Amino acid sequence: MTANKEKRRVISRDAARRRRQVESEVFVDLSRLLPFQQSVQDHLDKPSVIRLTLSYIRMHTLLKGKTGIKVEASHAVKCGQVMESGQEWRGCDRGRDDEEKKTDNVEASEETNMFLRILEGFLMVLSTEGDMIYLSDNVSKYMGLTQTELMGHNIFEYTHPCDHEEIRNNLRLTAEEVWCGAKRDFIMRIKGALTHRGRSSNLKSATWKVLHCQGRAKVCVAPSSVSCLLLTCQPLPLSHTLLSTHTFTSQHSMDMRFTYCDQRMTLLLGYSTEELLGRSIYDLCHILDTNCLTKNHLNLCFKSQSVSGQYRMLVRGGGYVWVESHSAVIPSVRPSKSRPGAHQPLCILCVTYVLSGVEEPSLQLSLDQAVHRYLR
Amino acid sequence: MSDRNAAAGGGDRARGEPAEDVLVEENHSGSVSLPSLMTPSSAACMSLSMEMPRKRKGSLDNQDTKSSSIPDADMEDDQNRSDGEDQNVKIKCFREPHSQIEKRRRDKMNNLIDELSAMIPTCNPMSRKLDKLTVLRMAVQHLKSLKGSASSFSEANYKPSFLPNEELKHLVLKAADGFLFVVGCDRGKIVFVSESITKILNYSRAELIGQSLFDYIHPKDMGKVKEQLSASELYPRERLIDAKTGLQVQADLPVGAERLCSGARRSFFCRMKYNKISIKVEEKEFQASTSKKKESQRYCTVHCTGYMRSWPTSHLEVDGDGEPDKQDSSYYSCLVAVGRIHSHSTPQVNGEVRVKPIEFITRFAMDGKFTFVDQRATTILGYLPQELLGTSCYEYFHQDDLPHLADRHRKVLRSKDKIETDCYKFRTKFGSFVTLQSQWFSFVNPWTKEVEYIVSTNTVISYDPSQTSRSEVKSELSSNSKTSEDDCNKSLQVILGISTTPGAMIYAGSIGTQIANELLDFNRMNSSSSSGSISPFSLPQDKCPQTHNQISNNVPNGGATDMEIPGKSSSEDEPQGAAFSGGESLMVENSQLDLDSVVGPGLSSLSNDEAAMAVIMSLLETDTNLGEAVDFEEMHWSS
Repeated sequence: MTANKEKRRVISRDAARRRRQVESEVFVDLSRLLPFQQSVQDHLDKPSVIRLTLSYIRMHTLLKGKTGIKVEASHAVKCGQVMESGQEWRGCDRGRDDEEKKTDNVEASEETNMFLRILEGFLMVLSTEGDMIYLSDNVSKYMGLTQTELMGHNIFEYTHPCDHEEIRNNLRLTAEEVWCGAKRDFIMRIKGALTHRGRSSNLKSATWKVLHCQGRAKVCVAPSSVSCLLLTCQPLPLSHTLLSTHTFTSQHSMDMRFTYCDQRMTLLLGYSTEELLGRSIYDLCHILDTNCLTKNHLNLCFKSQSVSGQYRMLVRGGGYVWVESHSAVIPSVRPSKSRPGAHQPLCILCVTYVLSGVEEPSLQLSLDQAVHRYLR
Repeated sequence: MSDRNAAAGGGDRARGEPAEDVLVEENHSGSVSLPSLMTPSSAACMSLSMEMPRKRKGSLDNQDTKSSSIPDADMEDDQNRSDGEDQNVKIKCFREPHSQIEKRRRDKMNNLIDELSAMIPTCNPMSRKLDKLTVLRMAVQHLKSLKGSASSFSEANYKPSFLPNEELKHLVLKAADGFLFVVGCDRGKIVFVSESITKILNYSRAELIGQSLFDYIHPKDMGKVKEQLSASELYPRERLIDAKTGLQVQADLPVGAERLCSGARRSFFCRMKYNKISIKVEEKEFQASTSKKKESQRYCTVHCTGYMRSWPTSHLEVDGDGEPDKQDSSYYSCLVAVGRIHSHSTPQVNGEVRVKPIEFITRFAMDGKFTFVDQRATTILGYLPQELLGTSCYEYFHQDDLPHLADRHRKVLRSKDKIETDCYKFRTKFGSFVTLQSQWFSFVNPWTKEVEYIVSTNTVISYDPSQTSRSEVKSELSSNSKTSEDDCNKSLQVILGISTTPGAMIYAGSIGTQIANELLDFNRMNSSSSSGSISPFSLPQDKCPQTHNQISNNVPNGGATDMEIPGKSSSEDEPQGAAFSGGESLMVENSQLDLDSVVGPGLSSLSNDEAAMAVIMSLLETDTNLGEAVDFEEMHWSS
């Protein structure tokens, strides 16, 4: 009796082992087909293999839908015009020999790499559910996690819960936007496994990294219509930058009152530093841009970094200029043994780029301006 | 703890390669080991006892800081990564029964398999759910087919990438809305520009390469750009931002060297010209050319970020514009940058401040009388809400707009969609006109199936204070009628002497009423139930319903056509008489008309004369409450 049972158990064990064997083999086959180097392929676990396969197929569907449209008519929201690119679609490059194709390919890859390097960011393709279908391979440089680890996962697993609402809003696509190339520009916090020195660490000691995501929504009008979000994600802050004469820096307390501002401000906008101390930035800007400033302020408070949109700052005496600010919250620095300087409280640092000349110099938009103009 | 993990890592790899390979990975070792630590949960049919010993086997090789395999217990989010989760659970000494862990792993795997089968075309049509192995096999087939169709040169040293490079490039450029460019620092010569510039600035590459960048930059920004490209003599003090602390760093660096060193970043905004599109239209006037005057040139704001690079000139083929005897040790420095257009910037057209248009909401009854007016209307129209309530909207519409608005009114009563009007002028309290554009839709009471009211969302297009002079308004007021933009037909006014005779009484409001009435009549015709008439101006409907409808159809359209009204004279009597005689015959004729043609635009079925007659008839009948000839002098006009 027991011998039978034992026998049956052995048989079932063998059968199970064989099944597992077969399955493993299929997984190996599948992983070999993925476009990664062998060493990467070998170290993928089974769920990852499936995840990456899914990503591959989805990207293909996405791009296939694209090639169906020969001449890409890109409706340009910018410049207020409809531009039609007369460019021939180079995706289907028939009638070109391999050698040409190869050089093109290499060129394209170099261009892309350079682009991403200059931008200091990586490309992310998000499905409408938030799955990170594709990430460019330099993502590891900025996030510390590799392409293979992240691709296929859902973005909501990696981002700060308070930002989920905003991300969801950005993923939603309204009907009008489908045809008008909906633009997206937002800031989110994502887990990054990089140490301060730039080496990758583990997810356990992951910190929140602030990413500035810009891009557009894309809809494929194909039989299997897929829509997704194409984003370039740049971690903030950007690196050392040389400031031009048309830029000024300012420091603010957390309520956006000036605590310091550099001399360029005087040259560009006419206010002296003393005048500004203690005044709120909201006072100095065009009333219609309050929304923009508020959003910027909120981003700073929650996410610690922000890129404002373009808004207007009033010039002393009349008129305004268009500016854009890149800001960050600077953590407070207490004087210590190694850093025996003055105590620096928590503050906001803004680098403001002046984009235009003084527009409408005679227009009085605030009481202040009127005072300065007439009571000088 | 790490031992177990390490062991797990070692034991699980299906291919049984030594653990050292992990470190060979070009990317960070820490992260690579993570996926490899996944236990083959799919083969979890085995009993626990079997699993555990297997995991223990393996090398101690992948020690290093494989704490990466330890999931972050510190992060607040639940990771929900099966591998991390598993490790976590295992580490915590099976606080959860193993079956739960396995179940979760299985579920996750099953979900993935389901998703996979949904994406594979061959799996889709299958009605029954396919088993895992089959799905995987189909996936293999599918991938093979996909790879086959792609470019097939896969050399050994060719780096495989997830996406074909061309595609990736296009995606990146599309996402970033940017173009790559390289300009020489000395003269601003454009050395390279990517194709995407065509889509952004509408210039072709050929047009730009070799040109000077400064030709395409707004004159006021030239100084800024020059500074960013230039050497140091002009701007001795650098201002840099320290990325970590965000503080400004005053660097008194040796002039020249640091600024132009490779890697020094630049970031600036400048306004760049863009080329207007040339629409392929025969008329020459639409064809824009790049040789337009500068003032009319369009600019858009481009954010340029990049860094400086320099190459020794000896290595480059300089175009020959540099002297050959230039020192070999000089460097050709360039700015390699990306230009991006910001979506939220509209190119600045001089002086125009882009303001969100003001909207306000009004509601009116079926006949066009205001039943609700949003408070915002006061700032725009000048009237307080109570001043408008009860009055017909037609009294405020500009004469010229009456036809099309009445037509829309008609439409909105009959359809469930939102109807957009064209721009029209609305008279404000002070006599001037504002241009509005509205979106109307009718709200139908679901129980009575009648139109309860029409909601109008009005957008202000422009304020034009100089439209109507006050004197015009005054003369209208003195004519005893409420409004004078009443009639859509000037000739009618002349004939009936609306503005001069106290007796003549044509209200603009009547237009609305008629439209409403005609709908009611139509409904009544079509439905067996008889609903009471709403409008105080309604005719005894039984008398000549068809006529009435037909005629009121023509009211707005009448204005559009050039009607020749017989008996054009300044005297009142004749037209009246003519009207009635004509009207009677008309009535007779019309009674034979088909009901369906009544509701549609009926003007086509009548000649101009008849139409004119019809209009006159309707207007007179409406106001008199009678279908017979009346003596105008004795009429009492309610206001």
